[in-house]
Amino acid sequence: MCEKKKQQHSCVLERKRNTLNDQPFRRLKDYPVGVKITDIITETHDTKTFILDKPIDAKPGQFVMVWIPRIDEKPFTITKSGKHLAITVKKKGKATSAMHSMKKGDILGIRGPYGNGTFDLEKKKKIILAGGGYGTLGLALLLEEATKKNIKVDAIIGADTQKNIIFTDRFKKLGARVTITTDDGTEGKKGFATEALEEKLNARKYDAIYTCGPEIMMRYVLKLGMKYGVEVQASLERWMKCGFGICGGCALDPSGLRVCKDGPVFKTDILKDIEGFGATTRDKSGAKVQWKDMN
Amino acid sequence: MTIKTSFLNMNLKNPLVLSAGILGVSASTMIRAYNCGAAAVTTKSISITPRQGHKNPTVIAYEKGLMNAVGLSNPGIGAFTEEIKKIRQKNIPLILNTIGKTPQEMAQVAKKGEQAGAGIIELNPSCPNVTHEKPYASDPKLLKELITTVKKRIKIPVIVKLSPNVENIKEIAKSAEQAGADGITAINTVGPGMLIDIAAKKPVLDFKTGGISGPAIRPIAVRCVYDIYETVKIPIIGTGGITSANDAIEMMMAGATLAGIGSAIYYHDISIFKKIAEDMEKWLKQNNYKSVEELIGAAHV
Ligand SMILES: Cc1cc2nc3c(=O)[nH]c(=O)nc-3n(C[C@H](O)[C@H](O)[C@H](O)COP(=O)(O)OP(=O)(O)OC[C@H]3O[C@@H](n4cnc5c(N)ncnc54)[C@H](O)[C@@H]3O)c2cc1C
Ligand SMILES: Cc1cc2nc3c(=O)[nH]c(=O)nc-3n(C[C@H](O)[C@H](O)[C@H](O)COP(=O)(O)O)c2cc1C
Ligand code: FES
Repeated sequence: MCEKKKQQHSCVLERKRNTLNDQPFRRLKDYPVGVKITDIITETHDTKTFILDKPIDAKPGQFVMVWIPRIDEKPFTITKSGKHLAITVKKKGKATSAMHSMKKGDILGIRGPYGNGTFDLEKKKKIILAGGGYGTLGLALLLEEATKKNIKVDAIIGADTQKNIIFTDRFKKLGARVTITTDDGTEGKKGFATEALEEKLNARKYDAIYTCGPEIMMRYVLKLGMKYGVEVQASLERWMKCGFGICGGCALDPSGLRVCKDGPVFKTDILKDIEGFGATTRDKSGAKVQWKDMN
Repeated sequence: MTIKTSFLNMNLKNPLVLSAGILGVSASTMIRAYNCGAAAVTTKSISITPRQGHKNPTVIAYEKGLMNAVGLSNPGIGAFTEEIKKIRQKNIPLILNTIGKTPQEMAQVAKKGEQAGAGIIELNPSCPNVTHEKPYASDPKLLKELITTVKKRIKIPVIVKLSPNVENIKEIAKSAEQAGADGITAINTVGPGMLIDIAAKKPVLDFKTGGISGPAIRPIAVRCVYDIYETVKIPIIGTGGITSANDAIEMMMAGATLAGIGSAIYYHDISIFKKIAEDMEKWLKQNNYKSVEELIGAAHV
């Protein structure tokens, strides 16, 4: 596709999304509103789920911006939609450590849900999920939706080691056929999630692959999807400020698509053209950096 | 009837320009804005070295507009040169917005920008977000020094972005013109303002205060542009709260040659440029204008 055409495509795509999507476009308020934490569930040694006193109607893949008063504001995938919004947080740096020391009754500020590019299950009958590390939690809401639609789901939950495997029980309860992989063989199959994925793709026909995890892993998943002719949908992460499409910090090259607004989920057609997919991202200043220098 | 126009050294497909700090951190989003109808694009404010900016929350929207304290984060002119080149390769009219702690620093950024292919330099002496840095925008003497220093270093036109948060914007505009500025952009954000969350009992922006933009500030922007047009002969980019063709026409009637669009992208997304350009063209035809340039300053006669 020539450059001009591609760019027009992103504009057309935007118009299409805006009219097709029922997410209100002219939001009247997008500032954090403080809500109480009603419950905290420990998921793993470094991951907790926060249940919040806020109803939300979210599509799989959407996220909220979470304000930790006086500390920071960061994006988190919605892991439970409905009467009580839930987010699941891995302790990483300053903001997430502060969240991990919070108690029931403490206040977090929420705005969102954000993201017009969400996981798409239309016309799918049999799908496979591939989660890597804490990325697996980005697939939880999708699995719920798929179950509701009676879609058959195979899921690969991968991590470097046993203690970082997350959501296995939840995935099983929802009816997914789960394969666990660890790089060091401490649980499930020894090896990468992508190796297990290739075995599955060899054995069966799937309508789509859904993935969330380290970008380098998702790049490999994309490769497999293209090799086996199966559509890939991947949920991406970028540094976010506004979350609603105006600061430009989360944009992809060369399309200019914004992960916060046009994503965070993109399909094969977009993924295959992302410059430096799996290798580079942008830091808080907007400078291009290697993923390996970010973590 | 044509909506083609020109601004200093630029021939433009319409009078709409992407304002500084909206989408402008990478070439890709600016190219996208151009392809979605913007005639020219302005970059994020670029400094000599990278700036991380403030902590989040940095940008929020309230019922009547937006408030931001991004803190002028940018990758620095070194890394940004690559982005400028990419835009240049596509022949997209590019305005490089610059910031700096000293006039010399800004001149250095401007020079590097010129070498990389920027068409116009926009000096940002007015952002209210950074503490302990000289507010050139509110002091005519400082502003003059800044403009002459930058003008000496480069050949491309230099325009100055003015803050509405001053006592007498006419006086500031006059001294900018006297110092040799080739044009003026007005206005930067208004305020600063503050919003407090009552459950957390804390200001919602981490920086506590932020500049206000969007529909809330449109009347202030129109008044400033009107005042500046009365005072100087150099052309004006009018920006502040424009979200429709009506607003853009109004701004031009107040005296703007170009209409800057920023916060509107929050309300209508990037395709707003195309929509405004199309609606302007329709309106101009219906009202028997021959050229969009007839609008400039029309409210003054
Ligand atoms: C759309 C989206 C959804 C997300 N969903 C979840 C979720 O459901 N659960 C969860 O635990 N985390 C999620 N994250 C990531 C989460 O926002 C980060 O864990 C968080 O920013 C880390 O914050 P911190 O202050 O603890 O770490 P920091 O002190 O800010 O940083 C720790 C390290 O992580 C890097 N880093 C931080 N944020 C990012 C980023 N956005 N992109 C790349 N590198 C980064 C920093 O450079 C640093 O090296 C999501 C991110 C995005 C963009
Ligand atoms: C998120 C955001 C970031 C901005 N960053 C800059 C900046 O870096 N430099 C600058 O000169 N103006 C900046 N501005 C100001 C805009 O360029 C513009 O002057 C102002 O927002 C008014 O126009 P609008 O109402 O159309 O947005 C910023 C505005 C917003 C909303
Ligand atoms: S986070 Fe600001 S545009 Fe995506």
